[in-house]
Amino acid sequence: MTTQDLAATFDRLLGPESAVATAPMLALGVGVLAFLIVDLFRTLGRLRPLVFLASVGTSFALELRILFADEVPGVVLDGSLHADHTTAIWGLLFLAGTLLAWIYSAGYYRHQDKPFKAEHDALMLTAPVGMMLMVGAGDLIVFFVGLEVLSIPLYALAAFRRARTDSVEAGLKYFVLGTFAAGFFLYGAALLYAATGHVSIDALAAADLSSPMALAGAAFVAASVFFKVSVFPFHLWVPDVYQGSPTPVTALMATGTKAAAFGFLIHAAGILPASAAGTVAAIALVTMAAGNLGALAQEDLKRMLAYSGVAHAGTLLLVVAGALALEERTAALNAALVYMAAYVFTATGAFGLVALLEADGDRFTKLESLRGLARTRPGTAAALALFMLSLGGIPATGGFLGKWFVFSVLVDADMVGVAVIGVLFSVVALGYYLRVIVAMYMQPPVEGKAPPTTVRPLTAGVATLACATMVLLLGVLPGWYLGWLG
Amino acid sequence: MGLVALTFLPLAAAVVIALLPGRNAALLRAVAFFATTLVAGMGAGLFVDFEGGVPGLQSVYESAWFTLPGADVPVHFRLGVDGISILMVVLTAILMPLVVLSSYGHVKERVKEFLFWLLVMETGMLGVFLALDLVLFYFFWEVSLVPLYFLVGIWGSDRRLYATVKFFLYTVAGSLVMLVGVIELIYSQGTSDVGALLANTSELPAWIFASFALAFAIKVPVIPFHTWLADAHTEAPTSGSVLLAGVLLKMGTYGLLRFGIQMFPHAAVDAAPLFLALGAIGIVYGALLAMAQTDLKRLIACSSVSHLGFVVLGMFALTQAGLRGGVLQMVNHGISTGLLFLLVGMVYERTHTRELDRFGGLAATMPLFALFFVITVLSSVGLPGLNGFVGEYMILLGTFEASPLWSVVGVTGVIFGAIYLLRATRKVLFGPVVHESNRRLADLNGREIALMAPLVLLAVWIGVRPNTFIGKTAGTLDALQRRIEDVRGAGDSAAAPSPIVEEEQG
Repeated sequence: MTTQDLAATFDRLLGPESAVATAPMLALGVGVLAFLIVDLFRTLGRLRPLVFLASVGTSFALELRILFADEVPGVVLDGSLHADHTTAIWGLLFLAGTLLAWIYSAGYYRHQDKPFKAEHDALMLTAPVGMMLMVGAGDLIVFFVGLEVLSIPLYALAAFRRARTDSVEAGLKYFVLGTFAAGFFLYGAALLYAATGHVSIDALAAADLSSPMALAGAAFVAASVFFKVSVFPFHLWVPDVYQGSPTPVTALMATGTKAAAFGFLIHAAGILPASAAGTVAAIALVTMAAGNLGALAQEDLKRMLAYSGVAHAGTLLLVVAGALALEERTAALNAALVYMAAYVFTATGAFGLVALLEADGDRFTKLESLRGLARTRPGTAAALALFMLSLGGIPATGGFLGKWFVFSVLVDADMVGVAVIGVLFSVVALGYYLRVIVAMYMQPPVEGKAPPTTVRPLTAGVATLACATMVLLLGVLPGWYLGWLG
Repeated sequence: MGLVALTFLPLAAAVVIALLPGRNAALLRAVAFFATTLVAGMGAGLFVDFEGGVPGLQSVYESAWFTLPGADVPVHFRLGVDGISILMVVLTAILMPLVVLSSYGHVKERVKEFLFWLLVMETGMLGVFLALDLVLFYFFWEVSLVPLYFLVGIWGSDRRLYATVKFFLYTVAGSLVMLVGVIELIYSQGTSDVGALLANTSELPAWIFASFALAFAIKVPVIPFHTWLADAHTEAPTSGSVLLAGVLLKMGTYGLLRFGIQMFPHAAVDAAPLFLALGAIGIVYGALLAMAQTDLKRLIACSSVSHLGFVVLGMFALTQAGLRGGVLQMVNHGISTGLLFLLVGMVYERTHTRELDRFGGLAATMPLFALFFVITVLSSVGLPGLNGFVGEYMILLGTFEASPLWSVVGVTGVIFGAIYLLRATRKVLFGPVVHESNRRLADLNGREIALMAPLVLLAVWIGVRPNTFIGKTAGTLDALQRRIEDVRGAGDSAAAPSPIVEEEQG
């Protein structure tokens, strides 16, 4: 290879398009490195929030540049990464979710966890890089790298409340099962490569995948991603891990991981045959049943939200089924973008409020101790009620808009029966969301169990207000956001 | 713009109330009363200006809302009235200030929240009746569930939590099935404009009609979906019951007419026998239920099932008299059942019981209460000269043209109605005073008289001069009836082509 060839290759790989496409991730990477430096000097410790905000803010601006550019970079780096309006919107959602989770984490940790503040923030800043790689991946290898870049920080973060056994258990459980799922993914990708000679997603979608080896590969890849988004029967880890993890981390897990994995699933839906639509729809409905029925039985808000997360994964999987049946993914992609936008703000807000309640002690996340919250903390109660209605998909909230789009895809794909069963599960879901509102607004406080008045950090109030504003904005005036979609 | 102000003024007032300090209940009530009275005035103005003889939509307001990507369907924020909705709007607007007034007597705790939800509810209800975009309609339709959920759940009586969750889940189940139909309709027709969808003459799929009809039938409620109603009505605070009977149930019958019969005339003609049967069975079954009740409030709740059976019967007779009577009876039921719930609330505030056996002889201690009670009961049983008679008579007449059988069944409901309501009147008002505590009850005060007087006046007005109201609906309903005749005619000629036509073709 001559020098010219090498130079040409570098030009091709590192041209201006590649720079634009990778810049949002690089901005976060620079932030992570800055954390390592800042952490070396005791006097620079105060700069940590600044580093975090600067890094996320820069990345946010760079994603906005892609979103509003006339010409998007498109496929770069030899087909291994793509950057367009869709990935930009995903990126913005990841960044918003990470930022909100980080704000809620301020003041969340107990004294004994504090020494690792810099590590905590650096790990949180790493996770969205993985998410961006996952939705931008052009081939299975880049997706796998993204998956690991996302997962490894989350394994560590899950166990971050070191003094507590449930947190350590959550970290370990997530790590063991997550590694297992990663192994599945690699095995599946290898089988796909062996069967077709491709790892590129577009090439795989175009290739003939009818051989048993290719089908097995696609099934393994799908199973691994299903694990990440907590789809039946790979959802059993969710309640324990979500409950044991520090709540801001749970928020990031529930929203970011799910969004990134669904972004990939819809992009890569072509790997699965169109005939799989019925199977995927059936899995989705069973997931909704498992999540909703599980949530109905919970007495703890955090655990209930975990099961509700499973149910929402089932709803989104319906979109994937719709994409398969339609053999077209724009509508499904739009539906997922709307649904996840609402879910990111709703679920992060809800988990954030759980984090606030936990400040008074673990038992304050029990539904029973929410009684009378509307009188003692009217702001918290109102916000939590709003998030519950949004999770239940009641109009004037973003949740409704998401539900509308999901069921539009199904109706469009002539899956009316599936849609009707799906909407009826939302009725079950409202059964437990309403229990939270009933406890807060309609039941008197339990005698002698009045919640202590711990001082709440102002930051949490700001984050909650931001979440609530976005939930209402998406629900009432969604025009600006829908305008971003293709 | 007028309609936008009308719809959102209550919401604006709700925001004002949310921002005011909660301690000063008098100020909060004054704000709520002022806002609702203003809306009532605007509603009355709208009613006077409305031209009844003309079919079609009037005072339409439209602005872009958002576009559904993919399908490229523009969704508009579009409001307007026609002969069907005008009566519902004016009924809602007039009832609200009276409901606010009535709440002075029974809501003493968490007044701020109560008035907030009451006002949000008014915006939701007016939005349902005025929305002329299917997305907007669905939006208001589901949003209006939330305030009532809070009103019943916080200020209701003993079994309020059970009742409110049952109410919410029951109605939301129907609404969500309708959502699938709404989506299919919008995407298949490429528009969400109600005006355009109503003007569409092609036959729309019957399953969409079924999904709409299910949601509305639960809301009305049509037998066998009525079980939530008795619980919600009984457990709700007086204001909630009045709103539920006066307006919320009308959302169901309004929906059946607008988004059932008017939008799907073909399917409605096919389904008419079923709805006639359900309506007539509802009349009798509701009346039998009411006869068996010992709780006065529950008795009125069951009578609602019976009375709304009349509305359904009249509408699905699909004749001129039936349609007009059905729409008028919606208003009548709002007035007379609203009054009944107000009266029960007033006597409950004094005696803290609703058991029929705990009353007796109240006519002697509370003569004014007795006067209002008797007028209301007579209006409800359909005494000529009062509103109920006009509606029921037109409905039965209209139904007789369509189906004599169900008309006869419906008439028995009138008789049953007289039995249970007059029996209840006897037990409450007449006879000896059984319980000593009932001797010292205070009669109605000025506020209570003032809040019931407008409704009694309306009842007499409709009884004597029904054309003031029927006239407003005539244009729209006659156009609808012509449309149904066309559909029927087309159906008949398709089924059995007349020989004359064949000859001409030959």
